[in-house]
Parts: sequence; C-alpha cells; structure tokens
Amino acid sequence: MLVVKNLTKRFGDIVAVDSISFEAHEGEIFGLLGPNGAGKTTTIRVIATVLEATGGTAEVAGFDIRKNPEDVRRNIGVLTADIGLYDRFTARENLRYFGELYGLGGEKLEKRIDELIHVLDMGRFADRRAGKFSTGMKQKVAIARSIVHDPKVIIFDEPTAGLDVLASQTVVRFMKNAREMGKLVVLSTHNMHDAEKLSDHVAILHRSKLVTTGSVSEVLQRAGAANLEDAFIKIVGDDEAKSTERARELEQLAKAGKKK
Amino acid sequence: MKEIYTVWKKELLDNLRDRRTLLTAVLMPIVLMPVILIGTFKLQEYTIKRAEEKVITIAVDSKQSAPTLISYLESQDKLQLSEVPPDIFESKIDDGSLNIYLGIPETFESDFSAEKPVEIKVYHKSSNVDSSSASQRVMVMLQVFNQQSAAQRLGTKGIPPEALMSIIPTPEDTATTQERGGFFIGFLLPMFLVIFAITGGMYIAIDVSAGEKERKTLEALLFVPVSRFKLVMGKYLAVATTSTVTIILSLGSLYTAFKAFPPSGLLGDEVVIDLSIGAIGIMLLVGIILAIMFAGMLLSVAIFAKSYKEAQNYISPFYLVAIFPIAIVNSIPDFKPTEPLFIVPGVNAVFVVKELLLGVFDVTHILITIGSLLFFAVTAIVIATKIYSKEGILFRD
Ligand SMILES: Nc1ncnc2c1ncn2[C@@H]1O[C@H](COP(=O)(O)OP(=O)(O)OP(=O)(O)O)[C@@H](O)[C@H]1O
Ligand SMILES: [Mg+2]
Repeated sequence: MLVVKNLTKRFGDIVAVDSISFEAHEGEIFGLLGPNGAGKTTTIRVIATVLEATGGTAEVAGFDIRKNPEDVRRNIGVLTADIGLYDRFTARENLRYFGELYGLGGEKLEKRIDELIHVLDMGRFADRRAGKFSTGMKQKVAIARSIVHDPKVIIFDEPTAGLDVLASQTVVRFMKNAREMGKLVVLSTHNMHDAEKLSDHVAILHRSKLVTTGSVSEVLQRAGAANLEDAFIKIVGDDEAKSTERARELEQLAKAGKKK
Repeated sequence: MKEIYTVWKKELLDNLRDRRTLLTAVLMPIVLMPVILIGTFKLQEYTIKRAEEKVITIAVDSKQSAPTLISYLESQDKLQLSEVPPDIFESKIDDGSLNIYLGIPETFESDFSAEKPVEIKVYHKSSNVDSSSASQRVMVMLQVFNQQSAAQRLGTKGIPPEALMSIIPTPEDTATTQERGGFFIGFLLPMFLVIFAITGGMYIAIDVSAGEKERKTLEALLFVPVSRFKLVMGKYLAVATTSTVTIILSLGSLYTAFKAFPPSGLLGDEVVIDLSIGAIGIMLLVGIILAIMFAGMLLSVAIFAKSYKEAQNYISPFYLVAIFPIAIVNSIPDFKPTEPLFIVPGVNAVFVVKELLLGVFDVTHILITIGSLLFFAVTAIVIATKIYSKEGILFRD
C-alpha cells in the first residue's frame, strides 16, 4: 500500500531525509518514529507530493509520487501540525469545501460529513464558526478534513499533540477503527511509548536516516530491549542519543537568535 | 473547471463574511466616490459664493472730507463704511475688524470740483485673504465711480460718454460645457478609479494568499488532488470578481449621484456631465480590465508574503508606485499623452477615461490600453502560479 524506496530530500545543504526505504500494508497501524528533527514530517510531505523528492521515490496505492502526484493525493489523507481552519466557516462548511475539492458532492458528501461528525464526536460544534474553537475542537475538524474523501492511506503527524485525554482517546479509537476497515494508518510521532501500544510495524528514523524497520516484536527482539525507547537508545548508542539532543538544542537556539 | 468554481465560490463567501472586505469593496465605493467628487463641486461653489457675498468693512478718516465719494460708497451693496483715525487703521486691518482703509486727501472736494485728479490710497494687506479680495472689489467700485463722474463731466461739455470707450473687451470661453465638466472630473474621477481598482481587491487578495498561510490552512489545501494552477485561478477569479464589483459600484453610484444632484453654477455656467452610453460602456470596460489587472498583481504580491502584516507592507508601496505617476501626469495641465504612454498599466486607463470625459474616442488608444492591461493581468497570474508552485515560498520559516 505504501512503498518507500531510497527516498531522499535535501534543502540546500541540509539533508532532511537520507535514502530511506520501508514498506507498510493495508489493515495495519504503522509507526513512523524518531526524535525531533529526525525527518518524519519531511518524509510525509514528500510522500504527500507537496515537496518534491531529491532522490528515490515512493508508491501510494500503486501510484508513483513522481509520475502520478494527483492520484497519490486522491488516495492519501494527511494530517500535519498545521491544523488551521477557515475561521469564518463552520466546521461543516470547512469539511464541505475540502470534500468538494476531493471531487465529492451532493448527498454522498453530506452523508460522509455527518458520519465524520458522529465518529469524531463533533455534533455540539459542527455548525458553529471555527474561529472560536479550542485546540481540541480544531484538531478533530482537521482530522475529519484530512479523511473526508475516505482515502486508503491515512497519515497522521503527531495527531494527539495538544489534546487532552478524552480527545486523544477519540483519535486513538478512530485509528483503530480505520485499521479494522482495512486502511493503512501511518502514525508519525516522537513519542515511542504511545506508538508502541498502537503500532503493528514501525520504522525508526534518526538524523535523516532509517535506523530500523519491522514489526514491533521483531525490532525489540533484534535490539534485545524491553520497549521501543530502550531499543532506540541501544541501537543509536547512549552517547549518540544525548549528543543528538544537545545538537538539536543548539540548533534551536541559533535559529531563535537569527530571528531577532 | 469545477474545482476552480469551488475555490472561487468559497473565497467569495468567506470574504463576504469579512467586515474589512465589505467595507472596502462595497461600502466605500458606493458612499465615498460620490461624496468626495460631488462634495468637491459643492465646496467650490460654496467658497466662490461666500467670497462674493461677504460684507466689506471699509473706513475713512472723516466722512465729511469727501461727501461725493462717500455717498457713492454708501449706496453700494455689501459695504460697511465707518470712520477710523489714520493712526490705528493698520492694527484694525491686522485683527480683521477692518478690510480696507481709504486714504482720502483733505482737499478732495475742492480738487474734485476743480476737475483735478485726486489720488485715493486703497490700504489693504495682501497677506490677508479677506483684505486682499476686498481690495479687488473696492478697486472695481472706484473705477466705476471714476467712469460715472467722467461721463458726467463729458456730458456737461456736450460730448457723448461713448467717446471714452475705444474698445469693449468681452470674454468668450471656447470650451464646451462638456469639456469644462470633463476637465474637472477628468482630474478626480480617473484617480479614484485607480484607487478603487486597488482597494476593492486588496483585502481579499491578502486573505486568500498570505491569510491562508497565517491561519495555517495552506498545507491542507495543497494536499487536495487539484493542480496549483486551478487553485490560484479560483483565488484570482475571486479577487477579480470583488474588484470588478467595486468598480461597477463606484462608477454606478457616481453616475447616479451626478444624475440626482447635477453640479451646477461652476464658473457661472451650467456644467453638464452628459456622457453617451458608448463612453460609459468603454469607461466601465477599461475600469473592469484595470481591476482585473490589479487583482493579478495584488495576488502575486500577497502570495509572496507569509502573513497579513507582511502582505500589507508589500502592498502599501505598490499602491504609491501605481498612483504616483498618475498624480504627476494629472497635475500637468494640457498634458497630451503620446502613444507609448498607453502601454503603461494604470496610467493608460487614466488617460483613456480622461479622453472619454472630454468627448474624445481614440480607438488606437483604447485598444492599446486594453491590450496592455490584459497582458499584465495574464503575466501577473502566471507569476502568482509560479510562486504558488514553489515549495520554498510555502514552507520557508
Ligand atoms: N523547509 C525547510 N527548509 C530547510 N530545512 C528544513 C525544512 N523543513 C525541515 N527542515 C529541516 O529538516 C530536518 C528534519 O525536519 P522534520 O520536520 O522533517 O523533522 P521531524 O522528524 O518531523 O521533527 P519533529 O518531531 O520536531 O516534528 C530538520 O533539521 C529541519 O530543520
Ligand atoms: Mg514533525
């Protein structure tokens, strides 16, 4: 369903994704894991064809990201950290606009929107303008928006960030349901603890490179670790893990300094 | 095509719910354009009338010293005569309680009856508006007095008073009433046309581009299986629709206002702004194409910006650049634009509208203008699409 082959993305001198390969299949939750700055979001954007690959390629539902970008987009639903909504539109109107852009319309679209409103528990605010929504409400609408066209592949990038326990559970329940329905759900997160409970297979990125991939049990067995977090530290090495964090902090500070 | 329509419909509806767009694109042209243009006419009429109707305060040292002249002055309308000692009249002119002081020699009556010319000093202060305009009117009155007494003297000597007149100069204005009105609104109307062609689409152009980045809805939009060109086209058409509506509203409300309150009395004559349907049609067409061109330019500028604020910063100077040459050219009297000038977008529309108001139909000028505006409109959309397709513009931080 999703095949990534030697995918590379460079921004000038920065190599954000360095020749990674993995495969993910329908009916599973696939964890795309790694610490901050590992290259997860960039990988997702290249797969979703909003960024152009520098090298390698990927296939989504049999469509190549380079040759058939519009077919790829038709078969994929992506949620990133940018969960902004049209503030002067109601939740329903937001969903309707995107549904129409995905080629839906009429009765069918209205039914799909009602279904999403029910599944994601948005009934209370579906017909209110989005301008005054809380983060949790916005996140739910953004999730519904990303899957309004009922895609075969669903990619969620940090879907529970900023959500309270109840809202997080709604999202988790939704991902499990989607798996039952035979979808491929790619869950991208730096939180390996959460991902371990949900994922069937995982790919772990670190410093733009793929560190390991396979089923959760395979990865744990190979590393001889009790959980994914330990496995990650065992694989990349204790010192490396710490120095990565330090490098990230320095980079962040340098960025903040530049802005001023 | 359907996707372009979807985007167009969404952006229009979205912006119809935005007070800023409603205010600048709908309310302002309807109200402001006629109020400013007609207001200017009425203000001018009013100031001219007021200056003519103002009572002049004039003073002499002693009314007894020159009864003939004084009785003539006292028979004049809008003139108030009083006695003021010569040592304080200057301070009275300064504080505005007096406009004019007449210095009449004590020997006036005897010299006058002896038919000797008498010098009358008309004291005024040229730096004071009331005093200097009063001095012109007083000079005219004194000249009339001069002519009357001269005619009287000739009469007693048996000579007809016409002997004094060798010529009778009579001013005749060759400008038709249409030209006079055309020149006047030819100055303001094109200016406002350009301003409204920009302001009409300004907020929606920012909203659909930089606004989308600021609200963080852009990435979600880019995930949909619609080409970037179609997305830009839908947005562009929404901006163009808005600015076109603004132009139609502003020209329409202006026309209605002129029909309802025809500005009259300027320069004594009735100024009739009576345009043919053809001229109005071409003016509307040029205005609409101008709006369509600015829509493209605004969008490609605003698409480049990250936030609302940044977009406004980009657009403000752009505004000046568009209006500045027009303001300059407009302020040169009798400026006859050459054909190459009709290639310059914005400026060309001003010239065509000006010509139409003067009753001139120059097909070449009209065609060059429309061609140039369309060319720049297409270029702007191509640029906007290019910018929209660049990933750096979308994800730079
Ligand atoms: N548009 C861009 N231009 C330049 N560099 C970029 C750009 N986008 C991402 N990067 C860089 O690429 C690297 C990978 O970033 P990415 O956002 O993909 O990581 P991530 O795994 O999603 O991290 P996080 O958990 O923090 O979201 C980082 O070093 C980042 O600074
Ligand atoms: Mg990320």
